[in-house]
Amino acid sequence: MAEEVKKAEEVKKPRKPLDPNSAKYKLGKIASDAFANTIEAKKQGKPVAWVSSNFPVEIPETLGIWTAYPENQAAGIAARGAGERMCNVAEADGYSNDICAYARISLAYAKLKECPEQDVAMPDVLLCCNNICNCMIKWYENLSQELNIPMIMLDIPFNPDYEVSDAQVAYVTGQFWDAVHQLEDLFGLKWDDKKFEEVTGFSCRASRAWLEATAQAKYTPSPFNGFDLLNHMAVMVTARGKEEAGEAMETLLKEYKENHEKGESTFRAEEKYRVMFEGIACWPYLRATSRGLKDRGINMVTTIYADAFGFDYNSFDEMIRAYCSVPNAINLEKSRDKRVKLCKDNNVEGLLVHTNRSCKLWSGFMAEMSRQIGEECGIPVTSFDGDQADPRNFSEAQYDTRVQGLMEIMEGNKADRAGKEA
Amino acid sequence: MVKDILAKFHEVAASPRAQMDKYMAEGKKVVLTAPVYTPEELIHSMGFVPMGAWGADMELNRAKEYCPAFLCSIVQSILELGIKGAYKGASAIVIPSLCDTLKTLGENWKYAVDDIKFIPMTYPQNRKPDYGIAFTKAGYERVIRDLEELGGKYDAAALVESNSIYNKHNASMRKLDEVLAAHAEITASQRSDIFKSAFFMTKEEHTELVDQLIEELEKTEGTAAKLPVVVSGILTDAPQLNAVFEEFGMHIVADDVAAQSRQYRTDVPECDDPLDALAVKFANMDNCSVLYNVKKPRVQWIVDTAKARGAKGVVVVMTKFCDPEEFDYVMIKKACEAADLPLALVEVDRQMVQFEQIRTNLETFRDMLMM
Repeated sequence: MAEEVKKAEEVKKPRKPLDPNSAKYKLGKIASDAFANTIEAKKQGKPVAWVSSNFPVEIPETLGIWTAYPENQAAGIAARGAGERMCNVAEADGYSNDICAYARISLAYAKLKECPEQDVAMPDVLLCCNNICNCMIKWYENLSQELNIPMIMLDIPFNPDYEVSDAQVAYVTGQFWDAVHQLEDLFGLKWDDKKFEEVTGFSCRASRAWLEATAQAKYTPSPFNGFDLLNHMAVMVTARGKEEAGEAMETLLKEYKENHEKGESTFRAEEKYRVMFEGIACWPYLRATSRGLKDRGINMVTTIYADAFGFDYNSFDEMIRAYCSVPNAINLEKSRDKRVKLCKDNNVEGLLVHTNRSCKLWSGFMAEMSRQIGEECGIPVTSFDGDQADPRNFSEAQYDTRVQGLMEIMEGNKADRAGKEA
Repeated sequence: MVKDILAKFHEVAASPRAQMDKYMAEGKKVVLTAPVYTPEELIHSMGFVPMGAWGADMELNRAKEYCPAFLCSIVQSILELGIKGAYKGASAIVIPSLCDTLKTLGENWKYAVDDIKFIPMTYPQNRKPDYGIAFTKAGYERVIRDLEELGGKYDAAALVESNSIYNKHNASMRKLDEVLAAHAEITASQRSDIFKSAFFMTKEEHTELVDQLIEELEKTEGTAAKLPVVVSGILTDAPQLNAVFEEFGMHIVADDVAAQSRQYRTDVPECDDPLDALAVKFANMDNCSVLYNVKKPRVQWIVDTAKARGAKGVVVVMTKFCDPEEFDYVMIKKACEAADLPLALVEVDRQMVQFEQIRTNLETFRDMLMM
């Protein structure tokens, strides 16, 4: 037995150390440092905020408040296999298992204050923004009660119209400065316009590089595997207001451009089909969902995340409008048009939709929207049931069958096109 | 007399379509109002009859073409009824986006129901500061523009009048709630009918009928409750649910139900401009799972009300898949435990046909309360 283990160890190739100049290294370091640095700052008595992913990072970054992102933490915990364990803790306290699994994991963490799969610094304040969902409000209300700390709510309502109204900009602007003043009072901090300008510069720089890097999927084959985006996105969530994020994103862009020039890709298989993936990743089954595509030569070349963190703006008003236009804050028509553009720009041949049990808002009008996307782009659409963090809501067999079905339709479409061309 | 009034409430509560046909036959236009809060005063002032659209107990079929199974059945059944033509003839539906599922209802409605206009009402969650009040007002102005396209006309004087009519109705409903607490002979089903019928009658008519009932009830000594309870939730109109309350002698002495008393807690205040006043009314609203308040005063409200009304326990009626209520439940549970107030949780769904689990649950709860 011991010999078998030894043999297995011998055959196992040692993992090649990452080049510290590579985008993967830089982005991975930024993402992991984000947690570690905040834990260290907390030890030194610096104020720490738990922040929702699309809260204007310009506020804590300018004020010098250290941040941790519970959604990012929950995704990490789920990806490392502890989603169910943490969900069980929250459920034992009375939280329904119908509630978003990120929220359940986060509320469990607030109770336990430790989780080896991903620890974070405990917060002194909560910065909540509901431009991704109203579930966030309830989640943070409860965190505020459980931890007995203040919560600052920046309300960005779902916009039923295509354009952001002046009334909405005025409303969000009023709250933006209220949030700043509350934080100044809470921690004795002072807003600095110059620092704000610097932070917005970093945020826009990172966003521009991210948008351009993800747009490299316009080439066939794509110079990257779309699953890369799900990992790199963490930096856009947690660090887009930092200088190093922009620098790392620019490295990513450079590498993708080089890949294209050299005919290389991080997609380690022949790219036979190109799909758009819709929804949050199934973090507990990242490998299974990735392999189900790769084994069939399907590259997920784009996702709405490519657009979601493109916070590029030229004025304060434009910044507010950008935060009012994140994917879950916009109506069906605008959501559809953004996706149609991504499908067309990136020569997408099929749409794979994750019906995410955790996210009622994202999944709630997905059926109608994906029908419209399919019709407008002339591509097949298939969906599978899953969850962003609770492993109990995903079936690998169903996923496999659905992906197989999607592939067969794409194959048929390719054959039809080839027949017509001939 | 009480019996006759209750029969009228029941008739209206059980036949919303007949009510709608009656109003349309009178030449009136009907505007549907979806949960949880709509500016009914405004709709009323512009010459429309607002009618509540909270769905129905039914099997969902067509709604599944749009909604995943894990969306709340109230919203899904509203869509189902819309697709199947149950609301045919209505001029519009006003849908506020106070929860995630309601946001998706409006988006789906546009494509699923093409003959009834979708009018969004976007409320702020930071509703109390001036910028929040201004945003609420901007939302109302958007509703006005949409209703004007349907032939309505905004007139400030008419809104002053409507605000007053609605305040009067609120006062009557609050009074009724107090009176019913002392009259255990009025069953849970009858109480439900009174509240439910308010969605299907003009407020003028409903106030008149409610006032008559109050007058009649006040003439008699009420029957004392065997098991006084407070009920909390979004919707509690399922006949089988109310039958279980009755079977176990549970008398609802107060409710924290979104489709019932939560509608009537806050009046339109006096302001120079009636539209400003309506926006201030929304700013003043609270104690509800879909209205942000980090202090969650609703939780203490339930405990305090239960004590003030002499309730022996609290029954939380959870609408399946309702996130806002599911989050609040944990806090309500803790507060009740701290206050030594027994609490039961039952889960309901618009598609539910078997209520045996609820029956068993509440039977046990009854036994606990009787010990």
